[in-house]
Amino acid sequence: MRFFAIYQSLLDVLLINCCVAFSQYVVLRAGVFSLATSGIVSIGAYTGAVLTMRYGLPAWAGLLAGTAFGALVSIILSLPLARLRGAFQAIATISFMQIVVSVTLYAESITSGALGIHNIPKLVSTGTLVVVVAALIWLLSSINASSIGRAFDAIREDETVAVALGISIVKYHTIAFALSGAIAGLAGALLAYNTRAIDPEQFGFGLLVIALATVVLGGRVSVWGPVVGATLLTLLPELIRPLADQRLIVYGALLMIVIIYLPEGIVDTLKARWSRKSAPPQISAG
Amino acid sequence: MFAQQILNGLVVGSVYALFALGFTLVFGVQNILNLAHGALFMVGAFVGLYAVTLVDLPLVVALLLSILAAGCIGVLLDFFAFRPLRKRRGGEFPAIMSSIGANLILISIAQQISQAQVSGFPFGTFPIVIYNFLGLRITLQQIAILCCVMLFTTVLLLIIYRTSFGRQARAVAVNERTALLFGVNPSQVYALTFFIAGGLAGAAGFIIGLAFNSVHFLMGEPLLLRGFVVVILGGMGSVVGSLVAGLTLGIIQTMSVFYFSSQISDIIIFSLLFLILLIRPTGFFKGLRQDVRVGRN
Repeated sequence: MRFFAIYQSLLDVLLINCCVAFSQYVVLRAGVFSLATSGIVSIGAYTGAVLTMRYGLPAWAGLLAGTAFGALVSIILSLPLARLRGAFQAIATISFMQIVVSVTLYAESITSGALGIHNIPKLVSTGTLVVVVAALIWLLSSINASSIGRAFDAIREDETVAVALGISIVKYHTIAFALSGAIAGLAGALLAYNTRAIDPEQFGFGLLVIALATVVLGGRVSVWGPVVGATLLTLLPELIRPLADQRLIVYGALLMIVIIYLPEGIVDTLKARWSRKSAPPQISAG
Repeated sequence: MFAQQILNGLVVGSVYALFALGFTLVFGVQNILNLAHGALFMVGAFVGLYAVTLVDLPLVVALLLSILAAGCIGVLLDFFAFRPLRKRRGGEFPAIMSSIGANLILISIAQQISQAQVSGFPFGTFPIVIYNFLGLRITLQQIAILCCVMLFTTVLLLIIYRTSFGRQARAVAVNERTALLFGVNPSQVYALTFFIAGGLAGAAGFIIGLAFNSVHFLMGEPLLLRGFVVVILGGMGSVVGSLVAGLTLGIIQTMSVFYFSSQISDIIIFSLLFLILLIRPTGFFKGLRQDVRVGRN
């Protein structure tokens, strides 16, 4: 039991990172290069924190409101983004993130500015986080198995082909944005209730990079990709202590090495290798 | 006071333009969104700082050193982060991820070397001379900055439009394979483009570090974000566009900081970026590619 107590906070971090990574994973899976996750996590966190601190609402209401608000903002964001592709989507969403950081810094009467919100009651325990992550894995894997998941795959691989197959890009992008936003909002509210203190700068470039690195490392297709990615990125610096001081260099190098040599991520590469082995030998022409 | 703010805005904006020139060049020629461009800027600032404080070199030599150092890091960046991806023809996503990784590494190294401290140039590194001109206050430093930026931009325009390398770069920007058929070595063009882009970022870093007298390892990030605004406003890959957009951004920022506050300024700038992306995502000026199609020289 002592072992558990020591590593409980690490487990909390890991589980929250999983939720944030899921949000990034959903958009990347659908072929949208949106980097809005950290901005929406911020919105979810502030929604939850403000509702509880000011209006004394219970945790479930804050989590629900964070989720709903995150989804709403994300759907609104998807309207202008539908016209953009690739690098331009990335730039637009990075600037969205920057707008969120500036607004949370500026609106001091609501967010108490650069000081952040402290002493939020700890309403979310490790147990709740485990349940949420398990529920998200179940939800996402059933979506993956449905027609929505197949449409996402088609759009990600080739948009032109997807359109030719009668898949509405706008519709599925909106679904992806809504889902990603809802998960990000939820992750934010969970983070606020679990870590008990939030501030605007916490949801900037740093969080964005961690979310991206997690998904790229783990894999963008299988739902286990973000889980494996989050586990590795959270535990690596703890397991190999000297790495902890060089955490950023390790993240950066991992990101480069994985994207260059293992572009599909760990889980998807292993999956592809495994299924190739188990599949019957193919008859090639000539 | 209004005219004074416009003048100050022009000076800041010219440095934004200088920074964004390299950014837009890399995007125009290689279609890479290089998120490590801010780190090159930071490298330039640090090399300049150490050249002045530790080795006691004259300012011009320090400036040249920061250009050289940031340019070389740019070439290394191309070699390690982008070349392996080009071989695989991975597209936009891997290149952006790879540049984020490289950015983290460079920032982290700078953090350890500088021990995460904000350093400044010693007092009087640049002589403080103030001129009064038609009721405006302009310092010698501001004049020097404007001259530097004009010089670098002219040189860049000459390189792109009047040299063999420039023609090769524009050819690669249009179509790498066709350029290859005409005897252009794309790898060499890419490396040189990165050297120029890095050098421009390094020069911008040195100038900003000197002008605001503050050099620290995270200084690249806000500039990278402003670089986005400049290249979107000016059109990806357009040299003249970057210049005009940079100056415009500088004026907007100085005005909004002066009349409102810096947070409002950020909100205005990035909302503007969003608006432009909505109305005209290709920007208001022609990029390298259209230039080639329109005119021949």
